[in-house]
Amino acid sequence: MWIRDRIRAALQPIIHPDVRRLGGALCVAGLGLVWWPSLWTGALGLELVAAAFWVWARAASDRDEQLPRWRWLRRPALALWLATAAQAVQQEAVRHGLLPYSLATLLLWTQAAGVVWAGLELLAALPLARPFSDRPGPLLTVGPWLPALLPSTGFVILWRHVGHWTAVPEVRRTALLLLIVTAVLATLRAFGRGRWVASLRWLIVADCVFASMLVALAVVPHEVSLLLWLGACGGRVALLAGELRGMAPRRVAASLLLWRISNWAASIALSWPLLVTLGFGPPGLASPWAAFPTAFAVALGAWVTIRRMVEAPERRAMVRRESAVSVSRLTAMLTMVTGPIALIMAWWSGFDAPGPAGLIAALPSIGAGAVAWWLDRRPAKAPAGSPEAERGVDVARRLATVLYRGITALERRVVDALSKVAGALMAPSRDLHTGDAQEYLLFLIGLSVVALFLPLLK
Amino acid sequence: MTAFPSQAIPGAAAAAALIAGLAMLRLERAGRAGLGPAAALVALAVGIGLAPAAHPGWTPLVVGVVIAALARDGDELLHGECALKLLWVMGSAIALSWAGLELLALATGTPYVLEQWAVLRLGLEPTFLWSTALPLSLLIGVVLLGGAPFHFWLGDMFQGVRPWLAPLAAATLQITGAVWLAARLDSVAMFPPGAQLAWGLLRIAAWVAFMAGAVTLGAQRRPERRVGTLASLNGALVLALIAAGRGPETMWLVYWAAHLALALTGASTLARFLPVSTPAGPGAPILRRHPWFAVLGLLCLFSLAGVPGTPGARLWLEVARALGTTGRHDLLVPLAIAWLTALWKAIEQLREAYGVPARPGATVRAVPSPARAALAISGLGLAGLASLAWAKLLPW
Repeated sequence: MWIRDRIRAALQPIIHPDVRRLGGALCVAGLGLVWWPSLWTGALGLELVAAAFWVWARAASDRDEQLPRWRWLRRPALALWLATAAQAVQQEAVRHGLLPYSLATLLLWTQAAGVVWAGLELLAALPLARPFSDRPGPLLTVGPWLPALLPSTGFVILWRHVGHWTAVPEVRRTALLLLIVTAVLATLRAFGRGRWVASLRWLIVADCVFASMLVALAVVPHEVSLLLWLGACGGRVALLAGELRGMAPRRVAASLLLWRISNWAASIALSWPLLVTLGFGPPGLASPWAAFPTAFAVALGAWVTIRRMVEAPERRAMVRRESAVSVSRLTAMLTMVTGPIALIMAWWSGFDAPGPAGLIAALPSIGAGAVAWWLDRRPAKAPAGSPEAERGVDVARRLATVLYRGITALERRVVDALSKVAGALMAPSRDLHTGDAQEYLLFLIGLSVVALFLPLLK
Repeated sequence: MTAFPSQAIPGAAAAAALIAGLAMLRLERAGRAGLGPAAALVALAVGIGLAPAAHPGWTPLVVGVVIAALARDGDELLHGECALKLLWVMGSAIALSWAGLELLALATGTPYVLEQWAVLRLGLEPTFLWSTALPLSLLIGVVLLGGAPFHFWLGDMFQGVRPWLAPLAAATLQITGAVWLAARLDSVAMFPPGAQLAWGLLRIAAWVAFMAGAVTLGAQRRPERRVGTLASLNGALVLALIAAGRGPETMWLVYWAAHLALALTGASTLARFLPVSTPAGPGAPILRRHPWFAVLGLLCLFSLAGVPGTPGARLWLEVARALGTTGRHDLLVPLAIAWLTALWKAIEQLREAYGVPARPGATVRAVPSPARAALAISGLGLAGLASLAWAKLLPW
């Protein structure tokens, strides 16, 4: 009995694992699998990430809200399963030595659509689950940080399987259009939100979207896109983690300065090749219709980065001595150098911008950031926090919020209308039979009559 | 390595399903579980075991055995209702199909299928006669496979019939339907107009079966009915494969039959212990108290849904490849929709089964050991089938 109890106690963590650890293990495994180049592992990875959110949500105290909130996470996984299935059919057909052209086209389209659907939905680029970055995640302690994982995963999906979705030009163009809309909406939302943590989450979405646009345009090597994304998004993710640890990056003036500069530099590095290409790139890629909204989003992102990141009020009775090179500052410095290194790599591999084009492309991010900095340093006419000082800011924020909410509400209405039409079309199939045995017989006889007459009609 | 003999696989699957059924029969109260129900189970298992060599003439016999087994318990109202429904639908479908067979025999002067195609190819018979008789002769096959709009009988059976009988009865009926169609359309390519007509009709049937099955699965909330619809989608796979002009080949049919028997046994047993769809309800007792047995049951459910990595996924993939390479792209889309819906619902079922954590100290009822045994037998059987496939020991 004693041995049995000991075995049971040893197996307890395996049979009934701690929810936090189980979710964490699923999430880490899922994110690891997403990085593998196979569609199969990507789909499984997304499924595990969705499972991790579900595991956390089911154990949360507000589970009635959390469970439906993260239910949509299975859709991207399902889309990637579809792409996986199309690839499997393609491989099977090739193995049997028969792949008709029409089938190859259909399967190629299915793979492209599946990958893009999965990536875009995680990037909040589809109107189905766009506002997920507004709300914290299901785990109590790191909940506000968790949603930042999702756009990052979306970018990884698009980056890792770039060959699948950029092979179909129509899919690539559609994805690019949706990404531009998302970039504008994400930066508007980042501007409109009052809390810095929420703004930061939306800035992460915007960075992932910019990086995905670079991947779609394919003007720099994919490794460079990855490095630029790592610099911009990685920095913000680290900053968000720091926010949850007592706002450490904003507590000390030197850290705040370092983080401001590094985030700004990373944003400039990420947006510069994008705007050069959209504004002055080769024919077929350059488009003023795409360049202007992207430049607006870039400028707004830089503005929020500089203007909204303010020094945190010191509430500690006794200030602990900070080390000269803390992990936070080291991360900020890494963030700062990653972007320029990536740009040098891009230049080395052949990416170039003619003189005025390069300058103009850098203008939105540098200009908006510089103006924001100047306004921040300028001695205020009214004391900070006073009604006069807040009024102008409030109007702009409210306008951004109204714009964002208006667009997302419109999208929601279209989606709801389509769902209602589908529901109305499917309703008769649910009323097909009442369950009476006699009705089954009548139905069978009706079908037999149709079977009899169908050949005659042909 | 030597492949397994093809006859051994459905035989082993039938034996496993039979043992699971007999174990579940032990849960019946005294007076219900006797020699009669056991004999019915044995007869149904023999039907599955002999699937590769089955004769379409056995169809009325199999239907008769199932209806008799259902009608045996006078005080079991749901059994009686199911028996009545099956009698109405399958009885009339057999009659209509039999009429079709007789018309074909009348038109061609021979009851043998191969000879019929040879005679019809001469073009001496009026088109009206054979083009009327051929669709009629296929009707019972479509009904028995349970493809929508005939999916209701499978849902009714899994919800209303006792757990020891439902999976074996459903699997045997579906396998009989597949054998009927395979025998009826044997070498139909010899008579191209007939092949075009039969494949065209079955293509419509498969299309409707996938789409209606997907819609139904999306709306269902009871786990037993979900298992029924998944079984119906597995029946639709056979329709699609025949519509693609690819048989079904005997070896494929053997694998399909063995898989169906095992997967339905496990999934049906598990479904009895799962709650009706409640996203925020506490987990089912079986998952809280016997998680490993539940995992084996879920493997069966997942395999029915064609979740990648399970033996069932191989069947879905094979049908998709057959449809793609024969140019039946119009069927690939509903197949993909049905598969995605099945995948979605399978994971949703898993989540609903685990539910939310129960409050600390809450007592959990034990699941009877015969049910656990049935889950273990079917789950391990399915895992064995998957291992044989991975080790390339299957004869195809």
